[in-house]
Amino acid sequence: MTILQEQIINGLTIGSFYALVALGYSMVYGVMKLINFAHGDLFSLGAFLGYTVLTGTSGVVTRMFGLWGGIACTALVVGLSVAIAGILMERIAYRPVYPSGRLSLVVSALGMSIFIQNAIMAIWGARPQAFAAAVVPSTRLTVLGIPVTVLQIIILAVSFLLMAAIWFIVEKTAFGASIRAAALDRETATLVGIDVRKVIFFVFALGPGLGGIAGLMNGLYYRSITFNMGWNYGLKAFTATILGGIGNIPGAMLGGLLLGIFESLLAGYVSGAWKDVFVFLILILTLIFRPTGILGEKTAEKV
Amino acid sequence: MAKHRNSGWWIALAACCVVSVCALLVGASTPATTIKIALQAPITGDYAYEGQMAKQSVEVAAELINKAGGVLGKKIEIVVIDDASNPKDSALAAQKAVSQKVVAVIGSYGSSVTEPAADIYERNKLVSVGYGCTAVRLTMDKERKYFFRTCGRDDAQGLFFGKYAVETMGAKRIAIMHDNSTFAKGVADEAKKALEPYIAAGKTQIVYFDAITPKEKDFSAVVTKLRETKPDVWYFTGYYPEAGLLIRQARDAGLSCPFVGGNAAINNDFVKIAGLDVAKGAMMTQEPLVTDVTTDIAKQFKSLYMEKYKELPSSPWPVYAADALYAIAGAITKAGKTDSAAIADALRTKMAGVQGVTGPILFTERGDRKDVPYKMYVVDSQGALKVKQ
Repeated sequence: MTILQEQIINGLTIGSFYALVALGYSMVYGVMKLINFAHGDLFSLGAFLGYTVLTGTSGVVTRMFGLWGGIACTALVVGLSVAIAGILMERIAYRPVYPSGRLSLVVSALGMSIFIQNAIMAIWGARPQAFAAAVVPSTRLTVLGIPVTVLQIIILAVSFLLMAAIWFIVEKTAFGASIRAAALDRETATLVGIDVRKVIFFVFALGPGLGGIAGLMNGLYYRSITFNMGWNYGLKAFTATILGGIGNIPGAMLGGLLLGIFESLLAGYVSGAWKDVFVFLILILTLIFRPTGILGEKTAEKV
Repeated sequence: MAKHRNSGWWIALAACCVVSVCALLVGASTPATTIKIALQAPITGDYAYEGQMAKQSVEVAAELINKAGGVLGKKIEIVVIDDASNPKDSALAAQKAVSQKVVAVIGSYGSSVTEPAADIYERNKLVSVGYGCTAVRLTMDKERKYFFRTCGRDDAQGLFFGKYAVETMGAKRIAIMHDNSTFAKGVADEAKKALEPYIAAGKTQIVYFDAITPKEKDFSAVVTKLRETKPDVWYFTGYYPEAGLLIRQARDAGLSCPFVGGNAAINNDFVKIAGLDVAKGAMMTQEPLVTDVTTDIAKQFKSLYMEKYKELPSSPWPVYAADALYAIAGAITKAGKTDSAAIADALRTKMAGVQGVTGPILFTERGDRKDVPYKMYVVDSQGALKVKQ
C-alpha cells in the first residue's frame, strides 16, 4: 500500500462532499443564472438537523430502526426538510427580486447565507456539536490493503448513486429535457409550453435536498459540526463547479472529485500551509484560460 | 385684553422651557452613577463560543465587584461590543467603544483581532486590557502606553514546550503544526526557537513543521504525511475544533505518538469532537485552569458562575477576561479617578495587592502580565483536564 494510493483515497472522500455540494450549485446556476451563496449553509443546516434527529433525541431513532436504519431514516428526514427550506428560500429571497436582475439576486443570496448561518448559531449555539459515538458506525475494513471505514465506503457509494440518479433525471427523462430547455433559454422554454416555475421548484428542492444529505454524511464522517462549516464547503464546491464547467452536471462531479484529490496530494506532498493557495490559483487559471471549465463547451447545455 | 393674556401665557411657557432645559443640563453635568467598562469580545464569528464565555465571566466578575461596593463608590456597568472574531470588525468595535465614552476596555481574544483595536484605543488614549491575545509582538514591536494583557505570551509557552519535550519526554523527533493564525504560528515559532539549542547539541530534531487550514474538516492528507515523518511527539498550537479532528484522523491513520496541544487546543469540546477513547492522554501546555486556582476570589467567582451558568468556563481565557476587569477596577481604585493616563500609570506601578481570579495581577513596563506560570495538562480517562504529575 503506497502513500500515493492512500492520499488518493483521502482525496476521493473529500472530493465526494465537494461534488455533492457542487451539484446543487450547478443546477441552480443553470436554471437561474444565480450563484447561490446560501447553498453551503443549507449543507450546514442538513448537518445540524441530522444531529438533532440522531443525537438530540438521545438515540431514539437508532434504537427504533437500528444503526443503519436510523441513519437512512435521518437522511430521509433531513433531505426532505432541507428541500423544503430550499423551496422556501426561492419563494422568499429569490423570486421577488428575480426581475431586478442578477446583482440583486446575488446580494439576496449573500443575505440568505448570513441569515441561515446566524439562525443555526441562534438555535444550536456557537460551540461545535459532536455526533454521539453510539449513533455513528465505526467498523473498519481493509480493502486491497487500504485501511478504510465502512462509513467511508457508504459515503462514496451514496454520493456516486445520487450523482448518477441526477445525471439520469437530467439527461434521460422528459422532465430533464424541460430542465435543460429552461437552462438554455428561459423565455423560449416558456413559449414552447414548459412550466418553468415547476422546473425552478424542482431544482430548488433537489439541489438543497442533496446538499442537506451531504451535510448529514459530513457530520457523521467527521463527527463535529459547526454553524459556519458551510462557508468553506460552499467556496470549495464553487471552485469545483468552475473547474468542471459551471452549469454542467458531470462537470460538477468531476470538478469536485478532482479538487479533492488535488488538495490531498498538495497537502501530502507540498505543504498544508500552501494547499489553498494552489487550489484558488487553479480557480484563477481556469477562469483565465478555460472559463467554460474542463467539460464545458461554448455550446454546452447549461443545467 | 385677550392679546395681553395670550402673551402672558407665552412668557410662562417660555419660562417653563428654560427651567426644564436648565434642569436637564444640570442633570447631564452631574457625574454618572456608574463606571462604564467595555468588553470587546468575539460574541459571533469563529470563536463565538470563547467570546460568549468571556462575556459571562466578566459579568460574573462585575457582579462580585458591585456586591462588594463597586469602584470609587460607583457600580461597574459592562458594555459588550462584538468584534466577530475578525480584525475588520475589531476596528469598528473599537470605534464604537471610543464613541460610547467608556472608561476602559477589556479585550480582545485573538492577537490579530486585538492589534487593530489596540491601535485605535492608543490613539484615543483609552486603556485596553487584552485577555486572550498572546502574540509577542503586541507589546514588543511597538510601545503602547495604554495596552495591557492579563494572559501570558507565546514565547513563554513555546519555551515551556521545548524544555518539556526534550528534558521530560526525551523526544528525539519532534513535529510542530500550526494553522497560520497569528497566535498558533507565534507559539509554533517560539517552540522552534526554544528547541534550537537542543538541536545544536544534537539532542533532538524537528522532523515536521507545517500548517493546516483552519475551518477544514478533513486533515487525512496532512496526518498521513505527518505519520511518515515518524515523530516522537506532535505539538499542535492551533485551536480546538481542528485539534479534535486532527487527533482522531491521525489515530485512524495509524499515528500513535503523544499529542500535545497549545493552550487553545483542548477544552471540553476537544474531547467531544475527538471522542473520549482518542482524547484520553492528550496533553496541553497552558496557564493553570480556573479549576486549579484556589484563591478567595476564584472561589467566589466559581460559585457564582456555577450558579448562573451551571458549568465552569471550559477554557482558561474567559477567566483572564475576568482578571482584566479586576485589574481595571483595582487600578481605578488605586488611582482614585477614571482618567486614562492615571489608570495606565496605576496599572504599571501601583498594582501591589490587587488580586484577580488567578491571583495577584502585576504588569511589566511594556504592559505584559508578570509571572504567568505554565503547566502540562493531560486529559484523564473521564475526559477532564488534570495537571500532569
